[in-house]
Amino acid sequence: MTINARHEKSNLFFESVVVGFISPMQNLFLSVTKSTSKVLDHYFFLIDTSRENVRLLLELNRLSKENNELRERKKFLERTKKLVEYFDGDEKPYVIAEVIGYDATQWSKMIFINRGTNHNVEKNLTVMTDAGIVGHVIHSSTKSSKVLLITDSRSAIDSLFQETRTSGVTVGTGEKKCQMKFVPISAEVNIGDKVISSGLGGVFPKGLLVGVVGDAVKQKQELFQDITVIPAVDLSNLEEVVVILRDKEGE
Amino acid sequence: MIYLFFSLLLFVLFSIQTALFETFLLGGIAPDLILITAVYCGIHFKKNSGIWVAILIGFFQDCLSGGLLGVNSLSKGLSGLFFCALKDKIIVEGIIPISFFMFVTSLVDGMIYFLAMTSLLGGQVKAGFFFSSVILFGVYNAVVAPFLFYVYKKAKGWVYFKFPSQALKVI
Repeated sequence: MTINARHEKSNLFFESVVVGFISPMQNLFLSVTKSTSKVLDHYFFLIDTSRENVRLLLELNRLSKENNELRERKKFLERTKKLVEYFDGDEKPYVIAEVIGYDATQWSKMIFINRGTNHNVEKNLTVMTDAGIVGHVIHSSTKSSKVLLITDSRSAIDSLFQETRTSGVTVGTGEKKCQMKFVPISAEVNIGDKVISSGLGGVFPKGLLVGVVGDAVKQKQELFQDITVIPAVDLSNLEEVVVILRDKEGE
Repeated sequence: MIYLFFSLLLFVLFSIQTALFETFLLGGIAPDLILITAVYCGIHFKKNSGIWVAILIGFFQDCLSGGLLGVNSLSKGLSGLFFCALKDKIIVEGIIPISFFMFVTSLVDGMIYFLAMTSLLGGQVKAGFFFSSVILFGVYNAVVAPFLFYVYKKAKGWVYFKFPSQALKVI
């Protein structure tokens, strides 16, 4: 810069002419080279791109599968965390089980869980979620068990209303709802009243939520009310359940 | 080999029935693939073998159900027996006959279960709810049966192609 400033001089005429002639040729060469390189890169060397594309697609599939698995795992942990938090305060031993299947027929309301005698799951143990009672174990093999849901027509739970302590029997109907029987016509029952297990019968411990009253009809000529109980647990959408195990003392 | 193929088919069938069909519920009802298979066996299996296969798959269904052991063996066995006895006298080909017979068989199957449930097991099922469910069950089976029959027909063709001598003895 210093030198230029000191010895400033104009371009030679000859230099300008040569540059003027050469520069279009240079531009031409440059554009030809660029386009050739472009052609080679985008067409002739597409094999590499194609391979790369396949590899990336495989990688993408693998990652999206992994992502899906992790999401499922996260949701599973969230759900089981809720269960564990709920049951950790309880002194009774329990085991978390996954629902692995449903009844092979239409008419029986039953689920299969992936815990059996290997995990101390036996017949007549209570199965529930943090929301309430699901049912009880009716058969247990080494690695799986059958659970009869409270909506099955053979299910019966001796229950009482949480507020009034009036007792009755909650039976399954084969539908999505249960019925509470043997509640005297004189008893005060309101829609939304909570129904809990009474502890009688030896299967369900006392105080577990069975459901809430959905409807109560009093007919003058009847001795008992017609009470519909909506199960506290959404039985059509079960994924994990908790089996309440027997204490060491056998309670 | 052919028995291995049947065992595998039954394994897949029961897996679908117990694990996946909860997602296809329509009004709380799902089609009974086992019943459709029992009817197919009754119609298409040689001599009386359809009856025994129907009883066998009914027994497996009993094992995978919370109901009384033997109810499904009985109902599926009766379905197998009915179609095995009448297969030379009636035509069960084409969508309408298959659907019709499947609907009737579903009603009978449901009735057997209803009687067993109310009389032997002491279950308290509302008759109104049960009959509406049975009709829906019949319709659902009637819709699914032609498709499953078609699949079985294709499978039968494949079995004949792969194991011709063994297939001739059974189906």
